[in-house]
Amino acid sequence: MSRMTIPIGPQHPALKEPVSFLLTVEGERIVESALRIGYVHRGLERILQNRNYVQNVHVAERVCGICSHAHTTAYCQGVEALLGLDVSPRALYLRTLLCELERIHSHLLWVGVLAEHIGFTTIFMYAWRDREIALDIMEELSGGRVAHAVNVIGGVRIDVSQAQVHAILARLDELERQIGTFLDVIRHERTFQARTRGVGHLSAEQVRRYCVVGPVARASGVDVDMRRDAPYAAYDRLSFQVITADEGDVWARAMVRALETVESLHMCRQLLIGLPDGAPSLFKKGHSDGAPSLFKKGHSDGALAARAPRRVPPGEAVSRCEAPRGELIYYIRSDGSDRPARIKIRTPTLTTLMTLPDQLRDIHTADVPAVLAGVDLCIACADR
Amino acid sequence: MNVELVLEALREAFPTEALEPRAVPVDETFVPLPPDCVHPAVRILIERFGLRHLSTITGEDTGSEIVLLYHLWHGRGLTLRAVLPRDGAHIATLTDLIPGAAFYEREVSEMLGVTFDGHPDPGTLLLPDNWDGEPPLRQQRGGVQ
Repeated sequence: MSRMTIPIGPQHPALKEPVSFLLTVEGERIVESALRIGYVHRGLERILQNRNYVQNVHVAERVCGICSHAHTTAYCQGVEALLGLDVSPRALYLRTLLCELERIHSHLLWVGVLAEHIGFTTIFMYAWRDREIALDIMEELSGGRVAHAVNVIGGVRIDVSQAQVHAILARLDELERQIGTFLDVIRHERTFQARTRGVGHLSAEQVRRYCVVGPVARASGVDVDMRRDAPYAAYDRLSFQVITADEGDVWARAMVRALETVESLHMCRQLLIGLPDGAPSLFKKGHSDGAPSLFKKGHSDGALAARAPRRVPPGEAVSRCEAPRGELIYYIRSDGSDRPARIKIRTPTLTTLMTLPDQLRDIHTADVPAVLAGVDLCIACADR
Repeated sequence: MNVELVLEALREAFPTEALEPRAVPVDETFVPLPPDCVHPAVRILIERFGLRHLSTITGEDTGSEIVLLYHLWHGRGLTLRAVLPRDGAHIATLTDLIPGAAFYEREVSEMLGVTFDGHPDPGTLLLPDNWDGEPPLRQQRGGVQ
């Protein structure tokens, strides 16, 4: 049978972001594929070198339009390590709360994208409707739906009142009921199974070969999660399960993400109920030292954010955290000035991109959208 | 991962090298290695410790040399640090041991002008195909632009 080459992208209705695949097909079967990224490369690592540490919080937030908080968490954590800053427990809890709300929003967004790609528009509509609950909570807490600007070097800039805690807990219950619907669909719906079972298969060995991280790795039975394996922020104070599956296909990825969303909801509840108090609230008035309650000089001492010096002592830090798509790593080197000498970012999507030629081999062209949606690509993140 | 055991194995394999590990926050150990020892060291880490997760490769032009950092992870962070000369910088590829190194090496290659000997699919990763300027993360004369 004669071979034909079909380009998908960089601009294509099936793609949410610019990326290019060159598929070589024999009839309906794909025999080979080539991948090209870089269409939204913004030179962010260079930009980070040209801004000071405070400005860089805002740059890091804009690496990704979905997991923006994960980026600032990894960045602030690294700079705090270089400065030797102590972050107050309440600030760590709030930081973690946003991390988990972001994971809920990211996973639900993904459920919607997958459903749309396989022609299941109803679930797409439901998932994106229910994702609004998480976005609304984040907006109420921070003022931002996607770019929350919650993290600052030394802590967080938001606080949550007791009334807000109760309101959020009620909305989380509502969200959990809705997620039950998605779990039902993933487990029992025949069309969903037909389009996802056995599609985009990755073995545990392939996952290890390409150093894949996050839900894609866990759906292939590789039990890795930075929240448990290298706890940061308040994760060491939470009890949660790391969800894994053995099937390694798009269906398993859907299952892992849906169950992770439920775990994240439980974690949000633990964080809200166990929120350490004793920290002066943002809204509290009358401080002995006259400093605004959000910032307290030198050390955190119960404030939501310690005041960080502008200049960072020379040194290096490697900061890892579990973004919704998996391990996110920041390397930061300081030369003693107010600007970093080098910041390196590796986002989880870069690892999953490397598996795509394997996943796209020997499948039908009709399964391409399911495979592409299945790995949850975030191209702007990968291109930086 | 027991860092001490790993260091012991590396010292055994490279007895002539002074391996001075350095603790780096948040939870990382940096091990400096000569460039030609990186590939054999990674082989030892894989074969003896099952350490196969390469998080990424950081490349940096300090103005006088190119520094490569291989960030590995196995319960804890382990970073191998190699220093290359700025002119004609090259090092053996890790893609034969860790296929997942492919993109990271391509990125370091295009951003800093380092050649990875034996890379199966070299070429630009993020830069345009017709890029003919200097590697963008190289420090320009007169400091960072």
